[in-house]
This record gives sequence, C-alpha cells and structure tokens, in this order.
Amino acid sequence: MSDVIGVARPRIDAPDKVTGATRYAADGYVHGLLHARPVLASEAHARLRGFDTDAALAVPGVVAVLTAADLPLATTGTDRTSEPLAREEVVFAGQPVALVIAETEASAEDAAELVVVDYEPLDAVVDVEAAMEPGVPLARVVEESDDEGADLESVHAQVDEGQEDDAAEQLSGNVLDRVTREHGDVAAAFAASDVVVEGTFRTPWVYQAYIEPQVCTAWLEPSGALVVSTSTQGSFVTRRELARAFDLPLERVRVIAEPLGGAFGGKFALVEPLAVGAALALRRPVRLVLTRSEDFAATNPASAQVTHLKLGARADGTFTGIEARMIVDRGTNAGWGVEGGTSLLVAGPYRWQAHDLRGYGVQTNRFTFGAYRAPGAPTAAYALESLLDELAQALDLDPIELRLKNAVVEGDVGVSGNPFPTIGAVEVLERLREHPLWAQRNSLPEDEGVGMAAGHWPGAMEPASAICRVDADGTMTVVTSVADMSGVNSGFAVIAAAAFGLRPDQVRVVTADTASAPYAGASGGSKITYTVGPAVLRAAEAAREKLLAAASQELEIAPDDLEVVDGVVQAVGSPDRSITVQEVASKALRFGGRYEPIEGHGGSAQTSGAPSVAAHLSHVRVDRETGEVTVLRHVIAQDVGRALNPALVEGQMLGGAAQGIGWALYEQLDHDEDGRLLTGSFLDYAIPRAEHIPEIDTLIVEVPAPDGPFGAKGIGEAPVVGAPAAVANAVARAAGTRLYELPMTPPRVWKALRS
Amino acid sequence: MPDTVTLVVNGEERSLDVEGRTLLVHALRDGLGLTGAHIGCDTSQCGACTVLVEGRAVKSCTVLAQQADGRAITTIEGLAPDGELHPLQSAFVEHHGLQCGFCTPGIILTAADLLSRGDAPSDEEIRHALRGNLCRCTGYQGIVESIRAVGAAS
Amino acid sequence: MIPAPTRYARATDLDDALELLAEPDAKAIAGGQSLIPVMKLRIARPSLVVDISRLDLRGVTERDGELHVGPLTTWDELVGSAQLERPALAALVECARGIGDLQVRNLGTIGGSVVHADPASDIPAVLLALGARLRLRSPDGERDLAVSDALVGPFTTALEAQELVTDIAIPVPPQGSGSAYACVEHPASGFALAGAAVLVTPDGETVAFTGIGAAPFVLRDGLADVEIFGDRFAPAEYRRELAGVVAERARTMARERAKADR
Repeated sequence: MSDVIGVARPRIDAPDKVTGATRYAADGYVHGLLHARPVLASEAHARLRGFDTDAALAVPGVVAVLTAADLPLATTGTDRTSEPLAREEVVFAGQPVALVIAETEASAEDAAELVVVDYEPLDAVVDVEAAMEPGVPLARVVEESDDEGADLESVHAQVDEGQEDDAAEQLSGNVLDRVTREHGDVAAAFAASDVVVEGTFRTPWVYQAYIEPQVCTAWLEPSGALVVSTSTQGSFVTRRELARAFDLPLERVRVIAEPLGGAFGGKFALVEPLAVGAALALRRPVRLVLTRSEDFAATNPASAQVTHLKLGARADGTFTGIEARMIVDRGTNAGWGVEGGTSLLVAGPYRWQAHDLRGYGVQTNRFTFGAYRAPGAPTAAYALESLLDELAQALDLDPIELRLKNAVVEGDVGVSGNPFPTIGAVEVLERLREHPLWAQRNSLPEDEGVGMAAGHWPGAMEPASAICRVDADGTMTVVTSVADMSGVNSGFAVIAAAAFGLRPDQVRVVTADTASAPYAGASGGSKITYTVGPAVLRAAEAAREKLLAAASQELEIAPDDLEVVDGVVQAVGSPDRSITVQEVASKALRFGGRYEPIEGHGGSAQTSGAPSVAAHLSHVRVDRETGEVTVLRHVIAQDVGRALNPALVEGQMLGGAAQGIGWALYEQLDHDEDGRLLTGSFLDYAIPRAEHIPEIDTLIVEVPAPDGPFGAKGIGEAPVVGAPAAVANAVARAAGTRLYELPMTPPRVWKALRS
Repeated sequence: MPDTVTLVVNGEERSLDVEGRTLLVHALRDGLGLTGAHIGCDTSQCGACTVLVEGRAVKSCTVLAQQADGRAITTIEGLAPDGELHPLQSAFVEHHGLQCGFCTPGIILTAADLLSRGDAPSDEEIRHALRGNLCRCTGYQGIVESIRAVGAAS
Repeated sequence: MIPAPTRYARATDLDDALELLAEPDAKAIAGGQSLIPVMKLRIARPSLVVDISRLDLRGVTERDGELHVGPLTTWDELVGSAQLERPALAALVECARGIGDLQVRNLGTIGGSVVHADPASDIPAVLLALGARLRLRSPDGERDLAVSDALVGPFTTALEAQELVTDIAIPVPPQGSGSAYACVEHPASGFALAGAAVLVTPDGETVAFTGIGAAPFVLRDGLADVEIFGDRFAPAEYRRELAGVVAERARTMARERAKADR
C-alpha cells in the first residue's frame, strides 16, 4: 500500500484528454439534432410586453421561436430552473427571453438577431448599497409566488444559517435576507482593546470563466423518458431540479454528466431547463451550446460584495472583537445567497472573544448570483486578512506570529457556535513561516513587497455510495455518479487499489448516469474525496471480502491468512501459494460458476466536517509610473489531510492560487448605470494568462482527517481563499499604500499612489 | 449554395461542403467529426480551437474554411501515429500539464509550433508563446513544465 | 459567433481582386485576424469576402534607400526578417514580436492591420514614427499615401473601396539612428492603453502614439494640447500620464540604439 497512496501519478483521464479523444458535452453526434440560440434581454429591468417573431421564423431552417409560455414548466418560481425564459418581468440585462430552435447553429443565430422584443422599461437597481435604502425601486416588482424554488444552496457548503434578524433596521424590499451571528459584547471588547482597526472593502462580480461554455443536449426516448446529456457538476441534483420544474417523475428523467471542461461552481441546472423545455415542447433532440458572450451575460457569476469590518486586539496580539457588516449583491437570485457563508467565514480560522457578524443579501438588476470556488470566502478573507496586516503593523508584531497566536485548533469554538474539528491552521502557518521568501521580505528592492494571508474552507458533507466491480480480466471498475471536477476519479482509483490489493493501473473509474449510478451529491463544497472516497473504500473492501471468500475455497486457506498484493491473492508468509484475482474472477463470472461476482457496494454518511486551511505568500513588484503590478513569486501552503496523489493536490493548489491572483489584479464584471454589461468578453474581462502567473511553490501539509479515506479530505476550494488577500497585502507593502477595492488594476494602483 | 473545400487533414485528403462563412473549426468539428479542437470563446482569444496549418499554430475559429483550401492541417487527433503519443502528449501526461483538459489540445499544438522553431525555449518564452491560450484550471505551471521537458529533451 | 451569411471568392491576381471588390459590400481578407473577429461579432457583414492572402505581396526588400514591406507579410515573417535587424528599425520588430499572440502572428499581416485601422493597434504608431508610405492600387491606377494621411479615424482609412495596398515603403533612417516601441497594454485584450514609437536620428526625434486618440498620430507640439481618449477602465487622465511614460521609455531605448548604430 505504501506505493499506492501518496505517490504522484498522472491523472487517469490524461491520455484521452491529450489525444482529443475525450468527448465533452458539445462533441457527441445526435441524429436529428436541433440547435438552440437564446435571445437575451437588452434591458436590465422591464416588463415583457411581447415579441415579433415573423422575421425570425422566416429564416430557412428555423423550426420555432419559443417563449416562456411555450415551455411546459410546472412551477411558478423565479429561480433560473423554474423560469428559464422570462415570463412577465426581465430582471437583468442578459436574461434569456426567447429561444430560437433551428436545424443548424448558423440559422439559429441568424434568426435570433431578428427577434423583436417589446419591453416596457422599469427602473433598474444597479448599486447594491443604494438598493438597501427604504423607498428605492425594487429590482423585482412582479409578485413572487409561494411556490418552492430551487434548493441549490445546500450543494455548496455546510454552513449554518445564523439567526434570521428581525431587528428594526429600516431596509428596502430589495433586502432578501439578513443573517446575524452575535456573541458577547463587541463594543466592550473594542473598548478593552489596545488597537482597533477598521475598513470598508469592495469586491466586484467575478466570473468563473470555465473554458468550456455551458452546454446541454436533451431528447426524448421513444418510451417518453427524457435524457439530458450535460456539462454539469451534479447529475442527481440536476435530475431533481428538472423533475420538479417540469413535473416529471424522477425515474423518467435520466441525466448524463459528461466530462467537465471546468465548472468551479457555475454549472448547476442553468442551461438544462432551456434545452429540456425545448425538447419537450418540440419532441425533438435539442442542443444548447452557449457562446462565450452568452455565457458572460446569462449564467451565474460570483456576487459583488461590500464589507465593513472592524477588529480589535490586545498589545500581545490576542484578538478581542470582530464586527462585520457584509452586503452581498445577489443580483436576481431569490433562492439563495452567500450572506450567511461570508459572514461566518469573515472570522477566519481564528479565535475571537466577541463577535457581531451581519450579512445582507440584496437583490439588484445585475446577473443571477452563482457559486464560484469557495463562495463568499475570498471576499471575506480579503477584508479580514488586510485588516490583520494593519493590526500587525499597529502592534509591531510579525504578521504570521499574530495569526499563529490566534489560530484555532481542534475543539476551539468558532463563530458558528460549533467546535472546529481537526484543522491544520497552525501547521500551515508554521510551514509557511519556514519559506525563504518570508525571511527575505524586509530586504527587497524598492517597489517590491511580500504579503501573506490565510484562508480556510469548512468543506461539506453529503451521503454517498459507490460500487467496485472486478471484471473477468482481474481489473476493477469503480462506479460512481461523480462529475469529476477536480481529479477525484484518480483519487478513487488509488483508494480502491490500496483497499483491494491491486495496482492503480488495474483500476478504472467510470461515471455512471442517474439511471444506474449509486447516489452521490454534486461536486462542489470540497466534499467528494471526503464523502465518496470512503464509499469507494468500503466498496473495495466489500469486494475484497468476496474475493477472499472465493480464493479461500480455491486455495483451501482461511481468508484471514490471505493477503492481496498487486492483483494476486497469496498466503501471508508463503506467497508461492497463490491465485490471481483474474483467475478467481473468471471462475465467478461464468455459466455455472461457484462464486458470487467479486463486487462490493459501499456507502458513507459523514457527520463531522473536515475544513482545510491554505496560507499564501505573494511577492510583487509595483511599477509606480504605470500602476502595473507583477507577481514575481507565490507560495501556497495547505493542509490537505492526506495527499492521495500529491501531483493532483498540487494542481488544485496552483489553480486556486492563480484564480486568486485573477481576483486580486485582473477580474471585474462591470455594468453601466443602466445595468448593461460592459465587460462581456475576454477582450474586456481579463483572466490570467501564463505571463501573469509566476512560479508558485506548493507546500503540502498533512494533518490527517480522522474520518477521511486514508486521512484525505476535500481540498479544492481552500487554495483560492487567502490568495487575493496575500497579493493585496504584498501590494500594500510594495506601494506603501493599501487598496480597499479589488481588482487592483493599474489605473487604481496608479491613483492610490498619487492620493 | 455550398462550396466544396478540400483539406488535407492529418495526412488525409478530405472534401466537404461549406458555406462562405463556415469557420475552419466548424468544418473540422461538424464536417469531419474531429472534435478535439474546442470552442471556448467568440473573440479569438482562448486558443482552445488551435490547430496546425502547414505546421503553424492558428486559431481555427479565426480562419474561414475556404481560406484553408488545399492546406495541410494537423489536429490533435493527428499529432501522433496510431497508438503512440507524441512527446508533447506524453509530457503533458507525465508532468501534469492538464486538469479538465478542455484547453489542452490547443495548448499542445501551440507548443508543437513553438518547439519546431529552434532552441529549447526558456520559461519566459514559453509563457509568452502561450498568450493566445487560456487555461483556468492549472495556473499554467504544469503546462510550462511539460513544454520545458520536451524542449530540453530535443 | 457565426458570421452573417457571406460569399467567398479567392482572387487569382491583383486585378482580379480589384474587380471582385467592385461589389458594394465586398471586403478583402488577408490573414483574417482582424476581419474575422468583427465578422463573428456581426459588426462587419460583407456580402463577399475577397481572399487576397495568396497573392504575391509578401517579403521585405531594400531599394533606393527605402525598405519595401509587402502588405501580406505576416508578423512572424517580419520578426524573422534579416532586413529589419538594424537599430534604426528595431521598433518594427519589437512591435511585431508583441502583437497578438503566436497564432495571430502566424497569419496576421502588416497590411491587414494598417487598413483595419484600430485606434489601439500597435503597428500604426511605428509606421508613423518611421514616416512610412502606402502604395495603393485601384482600377484607375496607383497612388502613394502617407500612413499619417491614411488613418483618419477609428476603423476608418482614406482608402477607396476598390483600393488595395501593394507596398509599404519605409525610408531607411540615416546612420546613427535608433527606434523603439513601448506600450502599456490592456490586460484582457492586449491592445494598447497607450503606445509610443520613437525614431531618433542625427537630425531629430519623431514620436507617434496609439491607443489614446481617435486614430494613431504623430506628436507635433506637446501632449498637453492633445485630446486624450478615456474609458471606465483607463480614464483619460491616466492615459495621458501613461502616454508620457511610454514615450519616455521608447525615447530612452531609441537613443541607446542610435548610439549603437554609429
């Protein structure tokens, strides 16, 4: 087992991907396929009066122009699954209002630009802080029904709800949700502090920018069953949402999760309702592949946020009180928001004596809010870790020492009111402190600086199952429903191999669809390794029991005296008395065979969480003349529990750090005063290129998660959380002035240097 | 009224009907079933559609199919002889140059062009050469390592 | 994403190309790296695309104290051209090396970029600083047009509909000259927020800008008198400063190269 777990190996799907053999969701051929092209609203807020579709319908090859009334939806909710095409009210520019269906993509696009939409403009609410004031226009005026909307919040994080706040704050109807967490007397804590720092931090709407635009194909089988082939993070949750929205029995909806071309939280039941609605209305297969422009305008990016934060500490660095007021722009998402999550995470992995944390979810006419890798966490950490640096400076304490002094350990009660489970905050900070870059931070050339910041992600839990099946050739197939977003399948392969006794190259992993897969939740929240991993482990162990029962009969040796090594069942101490797995399996899998098939099913239902902490160092240079910031070097240390495959774990750390650099320096979705998108392509919205990202050192710290498979846990989101703050702290040092708004674009840095 | 274009794709002459406006990427994907060239944007920036035309990397979404009439085109599917992997493909596997893989064929073909031009490129030159290829998953480090490894070996 | 319907014709020679361009909404395509993106956005909707990319209008030659660059010369060919390896013309190669990306440079042409006339593209600044001249051919004959006269506004040139560039002539600067190009680019598009090309000769200096106005231009008096373009990302005040910074950087580099050219 020592050469199975913890060894850097290529990911198992790499050969197919480097040869172009992998079929992504837009790649498959479907006979009789129709193509869809959405018409997107050009107004940010309007009543939808009607359509003129004559010109569009006259385009050769066009089959239909569908509007909301044409889709056989059974629910009147306003979430994007229940209302994929606007019914009466447009609530953001970019909202799909019609769907053109044609024989070719080209004719669908020709027709889409000919659809004339009659809008009655309404006041658009674009500024999230202004939206809260009583008496301002509402971002949504048509009464929302009591109908149950989508339940997608639970997919993303195991975060407690906080307390609903009915206190007398005069706020407008645009405030959809208020969350409060209070403990102790924060005012008194500040009064007793030796230093109190505060600030207001702003972050923009940010786009996940998966390189594969959203895509879905839907068709009806002759039996009437609906089949949905889609680029999704969760086949079962998509099935549930579609069944609800279209009032179909679960067993009539089959969702196939195709290989993901990136998702990062954004691919949940957004395009499927459109393709499904069209397929049901027309009784023909329909594919919707969003163009990048449509994906920018009409999907679900991460919320803009305003955080007012105040922290106190004593002279020895002990944190006293934390007070936060966090305003989250939910855009048009009435179903859920991150105000609960962000106002929890703003406390970081630290101990506080008193806290008063409030989150407000506010609707505006800008986008539908969606999840993006650690929703609500990078924004919270930007505010917290920036102020912690100011605290360190005011107290004349080393920034890492300051954090170490207050970092939580297992058993410490967090602001959620619950004790932290095993967590590696201290270990990660100590490891980071050892990096040579930290020692160099005070002897750098002018205009350069090193900053650090920590971030954490609580992880999530959901019951899961898996199957391990040995085939007649002695190899194993692991079957789950998991959409492999972060490389988890490669983890399952080594878990199964280690638990059963095969070499990893003797194990393949298959993602089955909802018709036949064992259940698992969606990929997201950093939970798959932690929840499906143990299911795979148990399934492999169950299969192993079957193997040993059969082998025991063949070898006439008791199962307890047998071991399985690299596909061979052998007597412990006498390896010459052996039989291969392949031989046993072939005896089982034949007409008249004596043994049960060598298969196992395993399940898990985790009850305790497994948070992950990642801390960063960032070394930047600021060009004072132009305001450009260059990241010269970056370091990330992360507690990963156990690195089943260090190369894949490092890949998550590198990718998360790079996205954090994007948050810090480059990425902002921007609207004009009328709510129209100004940054609707990669010409305006800058995701980092290879030249923008430096060499990044990855430091893996292993504090085993007690309930994780071989001590492993979910690690995909923690790496992004502290990265923007580390870059911001580095810029503050290099420039000699701090920026309170992301991204720190050249014009903003330039302006800060001169004010 | 469709026009006929003849492309020499992965060594094989292929003729197909296209419109005046048909982009090379659509001709390859829809006309010839070669779906390894991916469409990731509509402003010619992501590079996921990159193929080689006469050995030079081009964005197949920014070429009209008819402009490529008669040209030799290499897609990711044709980079290596049957059953084998091209050194770049092996390197990306061994050095973890990919995660979701959607940008990968385009990046490998850009790298093939880069490496065909002479001495092994420095990391800086590799990163500069990747300006026209966006990756969201990897942070580029594994990609640079993979290309560096092949550059050093040749 | 998919262009509006259009027809395609490949020109067999220059006269054939000019004849095809008689159609009112016909458009010539060379590398397509500027035209196809605007066709895909459906901003450009030619009725006929006239492919001139296989005409014999490539290469760099020197004649009578002038460098002649074929308009269909790609950026990659420019970067590799031995003729351009001299300090006086360093701006040209420096600029070409940084245009777009590797894929764009394999197909994109210098002539195509000039007639596309994007106010933030890099090469016009260099051609202006070097005093370049376009040779134009139409069914009526030939004429010369200074690049400074050709670029009249955003995406607008003084070329006629049935007129093609057949040559870009660049006077070879005297001994002891150097040129350079410096820019600050938009992190997403790569286009110049402010770009400056400087030619330093024994007789004086020429500075030309791109990215800060309706069209690239040669600086006559000071920047203070020039109306500077701004937008939400990079306001005018910032671009004005940037213009000064890139001009200074290009000037410093050009002077160093001029010294090396003795």
